[in-house]
Amino acid sequence: MEAFTSLAGGLAVAIQPANLMFALIGVLLGTAVGVLPGIGPALTVALLLPITFKLDPAGSIIMFAGIYYGGMYGGSTTAILINTPGESASMATALEGNLMAKAGRGGPALATAAIGSFVAGTIATLGLTLLAPYLVDIAVSFGPEDYFALMVVAFVTVSATFGDSPVRGLTSLFIGLMLGLVGIDLLSGQSRLSFGVPELYDNIEVTTLAVGLFAVGEALYVASRRHIQEEKLEAVRGSLWMTKEDWKRSWKPWLRGTMFGFPIGALPAGGAEIPTFLSYATERRLTKHPEDFGKGAIEGVAGPEAANNASAAGTLVPLLTLGLPTSATAAMLLAGFQQYNINPGPLLFAQNADLVWGLIASLFIANVMLLVLNLPLVGLWVKLLTIPQPWLYAGILVFATMGTIAANPSPVELMMLTVFGVLGFLMRRFDFPIAPVIVGLILGPLAESQLRRALSISLGDPMTLLQSPISATLLTIALLALVLPFFLKGLGRFKAVED
Amino acid sequence: MASSSQRRIDVAGLVIALILLVLAGIVWWDMTKLQILSPYDLGPKVMPIIVSGCLILLAIGNAIGALRGDLPVRDSLDWKPIILILGALACLIVLIRFGGGFMIGTALLFAATSTAFGRRAFVTDFIIGAVIALIVYVLFAKLLTLSLPAGPLERLF
Amino acid sequence: MTQFRKGLWRGALAAAAVAGFVTSAAAQMELKIMAPAAPGGGWDQTARSMQQALTQSGVAKSAQVTNVPGAGGSIGIAQLVNNSKGDGNQLMVMGYVMVGALLTNKSPVTLDQTTPIARLTTEYEAIVVPADSPIKNAKDLAAAIKADPAKVTWAGGSAGGVDHIAAALFAKAAGADPTKINYIPFSGGGEALAAILGGKVTAGISGYGEFESQVKAGKLRLIGLTSAKKTANVDVPSIKEQGIDLEIANWRAVVAAPGISADQKKALTDAMDKMAKSKEWQEILKGKGWEDAYVSGDAFTKILAEEQARTKEVLTAVGLVKS
Repeated sequence: MEAFTSLAGGLAVAIQPANLMFALIGVLLGTAVGVLPGIGPALTVALLLPITFKLDPAGSIIMFAGIYYGGMYGGSTTAILINTPGESASMATALEGNLMAKAGRGGPALATAAIGSFVAGTIATLGLTLLAPYLVDIAVSFGPEDYFALMVVAFVTVSATFGDSPVRGLTSLFIGLMLGLVGIDLLSGQSRLSFGVPELYDNIEVTTLAVGLFAVGEALYVASRRHIQEEKLEAVRGSLWMTKEDWKRSWKPWLRGTMFGFPIGALPAGGAEIPTFLSYATERRLTKHPEDFGKGAIEGVAGPEAANNASAAGTLVPLLTLGLPTSATAAMLLAGFQQYNINPGPLLFAQNADLVWGLIASLFIANVMLLVLNLPLVGLWVKLLTIPQPWLYAGILVFATMGTIAANPSPVELMMLTVFGVLGFLMRRFDFPIAPVIVGLILGPLAESQLRRALSISLGDPMTLLQSPISATLLTIALLALVLPFFLKGLGRFKAVED
Repeated sequence: MASSSQRRIDVAGLVIALILLVLAGIVWWDMTKLQILSPYDLGPKVMPIIVSGCLILLAIGNAIGALRGDLPVRDSLDWKPIILILGALACLIVLIRFGGGFMIGTALLFAATSTAFGRRAFVTDFIIGAVIALIVYVLFAKLLTLSLPAGPLERLF
Repeated sequence: MTQFRKGLWRGALAAAAVAGFVTSAAAQMELKIMAPAAPGGGWDQTARSMQQALTQSGVAKSAQVTNVPGAGGSIGIAQLVNNSKGDGNQLMVMGYVMVGALLTNKSPVTLDQTTPIARLTTEYEAIVVPADSPIKNAKDLAAAIKADPAKVTWAGGSAGGVDHIAAALFAKAAGADPTKINYIPFSGGGEALAAILGGKVTAGISGYGEFESQVKAGKLRLIGLTSAKKTANVDVPSIKEQGIDLEIANWRAVVAAPGISADQKKALTDAMDKMAKSKEWQEILKGKGWEDAYVSGDAFTKILAEEQARTKEVLTAVGLVKS
């Protein structure tokens, strides 16, 4: 109960008009930059740090929290509407979300994303309030072998969603894994597949690949087919708002997404990508409307969006309790703290309690604000789709390139964007699924370095993977996920014979 | 709708298989050039070996599919808009590489894409693109102090 | 309501100050500072802090920060050497990490081609162990590593970086084979710290700032800093004072373009001298917890040359650079 009194105290700090103002500026700025691919909340906070140097600590940190959450919303809006995920965490949202938008269901897609983010953000912030001290112990006990096992679970479950041709799905995945090799190998410091081009040393940027494959690839594909099939976009077909059916199909994915996002986000090397893809795979498997997946299933938007936002709150667990920055944005928040000589760490809750609870409270407020701002805007956002097609696609390409240049003003980065665009075009034309490429690029290097770290620590003994209880459990789950479908299929056939 | 009577060898599918094979070769060749091996872990070579090996298997899988004509039916293709868009992207890259700034390139990209999608108002679209680029430039460079590639146009502001 | 207005007003003032509206009649120079990294990192923060100090103290009329990220600074330095030859207004922030990165990346451009101006700040490396570790001091750690370097696992930053070099130097000083150290690179500070706190590794090595709050809270035990003598902010003698001959610091500095005239070099050095003494810069150092290590002119040129030679030797010894 102590947590709640402290939280109430925090709310009192956060609803001071000045701080509300900072939260508002934060969410607006965050949404604006989240819309652009390549420019994420971390970059924005970094650029604003010197400006806020003279503000009071509470105000500027509250503003940064607003930017953090706002960035998430902005990223998913473009993912849904124009298939241009603003950051890697909204990639899973783009898969079904954009299909919904094309089918005239952009309204419900945006609404379920906004409400799902709100629900997940609120639950996760509550989790942060109540569970942070306990959760952090578990989080720290995760070793490299456990992370590797988690990646295996992610690979296995996500692979099941690769579509109907295993050869084509795996081809896509291995192209992604190959792209993941490009750059300096973290553990040995040597460059692989870089051919002496220094721009390739820093690995391939996930957003560059995603924007190339999704946005540029699609623009090329649609343009090449205009003479056969004029793509007709209807901004609104049916209801602009979520129907009763939509609510019914959304609430469970919201909760499940939160369950994935918050704990994995709290892990020091968890991130937001794994929970979003896990949530997508889970919803696809559990849905009562499997026929909708691939055509725009609302579950595929509700789950990943919730997971995305919950993981953002999860990242704050190690940051506030241990001073561990586990994402780029968290690292910037940390720099923000340090600028005022506040050192997040084990003593932060004791030494700067008002500030911490003010921050947590302002996360609640930022969430409410984003919901209030975004829901009425849904109608307006959807209108974007009624822009004449030439301008819409021209705008998408301009956005895609500008986001890329702003994050890294190098012609090589733009060349990569173009090459990935051509790749995306070819993959669409020859019917290769696109998501596995991104999954491969994200998970491949992570899995490789965690396994190598684990083996380094155990001096090469692979049994370390089974000796850790967490890793052993996760690997069992992965095995079950791999085998169970076949077993169930066999059982079903057996039953059919019985009947 | 690929009925078995219509099945024939798919040349494009074979090309895909060949490309995968080439990629596998590049990954392997690159792996052999790694010199530094970590003393205790698997080293940097294991992952490229796995990827290369699996790409070879997948090349075979794709080739079998192509020989059986399993690939999905493809529609005819209009190359003109693709060339237009890629050309504009190439111009943008060249302009940025040689200090032409991003505004002209962005405006060109906007106008070319919109032409590729069937509009016939290049000049109008060019101006629209330039205005969008200008707004973004002012927002980024002045408000967020991000350094965007500048050319003669950008220096005016 | 007053507080609300005050907040807004202060915000506007701060924004105006940073945007460079505060000018001074004395200011002449229009400087360009390149941070050879993405916004947000240490070099970028240094560049933007310099911008703030230079313009607010009136040392320069304006200072524009550009980011050229990539490959530990290899891309930035290539751009400086190739595109800014003779430009007396161009500066680039760099640091010790770049010395190693240029070697491991086999960069065709070297620091010898730039014009060294001044070293600004420094941070000592710290070696820590989990609080319940049997290792109590540098001697214990040295004994363990001498007994079997494989069993002592180190968590730190990227391969070939300052953390890795420091770990190798420690092993060497302890009498063990530096090529045999079991060094495990992590991508972010948070991840490495979590591995140390969770007891997954024997020891951790990184800038002291990364560990400070954990050490103060008693979650990690500080073995020592890599300074020559004990510094005021810690209770433990330096590693060198404990009898292990290891001294290394992660410094940040500025260099200028190649081919500038002696006058241009002097103007830049003077500007840096003035900035380093300014109240604004000193405030920033305090706020960010950066240690002042200002050295300019020939003294810095000498330091730079020495560090390059030593780093090459260590990286070759560890096997990260093939001679």
